Amino acid sequence: MSGIEVRNLTKRYGPVTAVDDLSFTVRPGAITAFLGPNGAGKTTTMRMMIDHVAPTSGSVTIGGRRYRDILRPTTVVGAVFDAASFHPFHSARDHLGIYAAMGGYPSGRVDELLELLGLAEAAGRRTGGFSTGMRQRLNLATALLGDPRVLLLDEPSNGLDPEGMAWLRSFLRDLADAGRTILISSHVLSEVQQVADDVVVIREGRLLAAGSLRDLSSTSQAVLVRTPDATELGQILAPAAYLVEANGPQELRVRGLDPSRIADLAAARGLRIHGLTAEHPSLEQLFLDLTGERTRP
Amino acid sequence: MKPLIHAEFRRLLATRMWLATLFVAALLGGGLIGLLAIVGPENFQPPMPGLHTEAGVRAVLGFLGFTAFIPAAIGTLAVTSEYRYRTVNFTFLFAPNRWRVLAAKLITYGLAGMVYGLVLSGTSALALFGAAAARGVNLGLPAGTIVELLARLAVAMVAYTVLGVGIGALIRHQVAALCVVIGYLYGGELLLLTIPGVRSLYPWLPGGATAALTDFTAVADALAQQLSSDPVRLVSPLAGALILFGYTVLASTVALLKPMRRDVV
Repeated sequence: MSGIEVRNLTKRYGPVTAVDDLSFTVRPGAITAFLGPNGAGKTTTMRMMIDHVAPTSGSVTIGGRRYRDILRPTTVVGAVFDAASFHPFHSARDHLGIYAAMGGYPSGRVDELLELLGLAEAAGRRTGGFSTGMRQRLNLATALLGDPRVLLLDEPSNGLDPEGMAWLRSFLRDLADAGRTILISSHVLSEVQQVADDVVVIREGRLLAAGSLRDLSSTSQAVLVRTPDATELGQILAPAAYLVEANGPQELRVRGLDPSRIADLAAARGLRIHGLTAEHPSLEQLFLDLTGERTRP
Repeated sequence: MKPLIHAEFRRLLATRMWLATLFVAALLGGGLIGLLAIVGPENFQPPMPGLHTEAGVRAVLGFLGFTAFIPAAIGTLAVTSEYRYRTVNFTFLFAPNRWRVLAAKLITYGLAGMVYGLVLSGTSALALFGAAAARGVNLGLPAGTIVELLARLAVAMVAYTVLGVGIGALIRHQVAALCVVIGYLYGGELLLLTIPGVRSLYPWLPGGATAALTDFTAVADALAQQLSSDPVRLVSPLAGALILFGYTVLASTVALLKPMRRDVV
């Protein structure tokens, strides 16, 4: 099995610490979303996984080995970073042919991938004229040449239209279901939410949270309380809850208390409750809670 | 290493640049040398010895040394285009031992430089012998010696291509690297010749070493004459070859070592 293990990873650029003592694991058979605000250190971390960037300290192993120690590394790891990593005068077939030769893969694999990623008809065209969606597909095709067990994708949905994003989601799901390890960084949280099993959240190079999306969501779950006594109830709940905020004149959003506890506290003071609804947070909500972005000016 | 060299050849042949480069080589060899030989060095400004003299033949062939910036630029592009078009992302993903990528480039472009040199020299030979026959001039050097001089120039083109790869690895920015390579080799070295004190370094620079290969002193002498200074004394052809070889080794070492620790961001 080829999981990714990041241990005490640190990267400094002069006085700037881009990644700070970061540790987490990425398991096979799942899609892990790697989240963080811009400049959080996601790309740097992912590049350290494949030796594009040398860590200042710490280590990353994939299937227990450092990337450079893996024999025929692209049979283990495929990675996509920039939206376009092609010579504009090369055709898609030329581009894939070059890297198939470099990886020692048969030319039949090029045709297979062109077909799989829907690029067969554009195979002879120069990549310079490709749309963003086609570029992303060609990026993926290149990363998949060695049929790798681990896929690292840095913002793969950038510039994709809704159809392209839906295609990418189902494509990645199929790969994960086949037991592959998929780490995907993205800022389009609604997109990631539909596909991620696990989440790793970082900010300023430090780990904020890591785990299954379901578990993390439950810790951030809120309860919507409909009550005509919103002001009084808010004052009673505030000391016990993580967060109490007004969600309209007769509704409170409460985090850190379960519905039965809220009902008990209200009953003890004789306050009325007309409804209690569990609110499952969106990934965006979870992200904002974890990163504290919402509280920033 | 074999897959990497195979990939580099595929990359080189994927665009028509290689065809255009060989066309330029033929144009410079056949065209430039043909033109110079038909006009005759005795009609140059300032006049030089004619093709019936050894100095005249060396003068005409020596001009090929000034075209070395072309294979050097091709070598530079081999590395800088990887950074410019971001293909380096995939290249170092497929080959995390980066020195192997650069070694493959050095070998591939060394061979490409040899093909360039052979086309340049071959077309030059055809043009020189053809022009001499057309003008009814007996060349001032035996045919065997002329072929040997052209072979030396072909080898110099290999050295310049490798030199270009090294400079490309050192200066990753494509435009900056090309400016340095073309600017220096095409004009910079000759400018150095005009600076008192610095000009004594010329024989040890790539251009001076290339000129030494064919004992081509025409341009240096003309500059010395204009500046009323002593002519620059070139090193022997063998020493010139060794100096060029030294630059090639230096460039190869830079190419192999420089990208090793540099982050790809």
